[in-house]
Amino acid sequence: MIKKRKIKEASIPTASMADIAFLLLLFFLVATVIDVDTGIGLALPEPIEETDIVPVSKDRMAALLVNENGDVLLDGNPISIFQIKNQLKPRIISKIELPGNKKLIVSVKTDRKTNYNLYIQTLDQVKLSYFETRDEYSNANFGRKYNDLTEEDQKKVQDKIPIIISLAEPESIKK
Amino acid sequence: MKFEKRRASSKQEIPTASMPDIVFMLLLFFMVTTTLREVDVLVDFKLPEAKAIEKIENKRLVSYVWVGNNGRIQVNDSIVLLQDVQNIMYRKRQELPNVIVSMRVDKNQEMGLITDIQQELRKAYCLRLNYSTNIKI
Repeated sequence: MIKKRKIKEASIPTASMADIAFLLLLFFLVATVIDVDTGIGLALPEPIEETDIVPVSKDRMAALLVNENGDVLLDGNPISIFQIKNQLKPRIISKIELPGNKKLIVSVKTDRKTNYNLYIQTLDQVKLSYFETRDEYSNANFGRKYNDLTEEDQKKVQDKIPIIISLAEPESIKK
Repeated sequence: MKFEKRRASSKQEIPTASMPDIVFMLLLFFMVTTTLREVDVLVDFKLPEAKAIEKIENKRLVSYVWVGNNGRIQVNDSIVLLQDVQNIMYRKRQELPNVIVSMRVDKNQEMGLITDIQQELRKAYCLRLNYSTNIKI
């Protein structure tokens, strides 16, 4: 008869497993970049060779001009950047119930030497005035903020308050 | 008076057997969420700040254009010339028809250059634009 040999219990030492896992964890913690892309969205116009001039009534236009010194003109009147929102909001609100071809158009124009930061601040103000109007409108009609609405309701609000921003090409530097 | 040390008769130990499991779970989470940075940014830039910002919902559609404080333009992995932007972006648009161009521009840059780039983007029919900004608190 074969003698049964007593087998020693074979085991892999697992004491260091936690350490190894921690090391890996540390690596991924350090390597992780949770960066969310945030920014101001816009749509550029399609390239057109000949631009035909469409007459737009003055009432519909809000022309913003930012020059190289950082001065802002809204429809020819000098204002500060932080006033833009308060000036635009009532004009957007007054056009909520008008048909789509009568909504406000905001035109942003800069010089070639205008600081980019100023341009972003201006756009920010314009966007803010739109967002706040949308929020107020959705609060009044749907009882919720714009971002919490269903997609269908968001579409309705978008139809009522479309964001129309026209980017005018800057004038060449005056000689 | 004599103080006596009172000790529980049972063993006092925190079971550590499940520690690796917990750590592995954390590890898995970070492995899944990690996106390793794919491109080296070769230009120096500081983003402007704004309040009215949106998140880009679909990160796959995003293509970046960097503009540094010295006016150099970077697309993909290399510095490019202004007149090459159109071709590069046109090819990108063929791969991704509804590409979103995220402009990461230094805040002290002048608008002239930005407009020139935008004109190139228009010619390449990359019309969805996003000015990358940080949140202003």
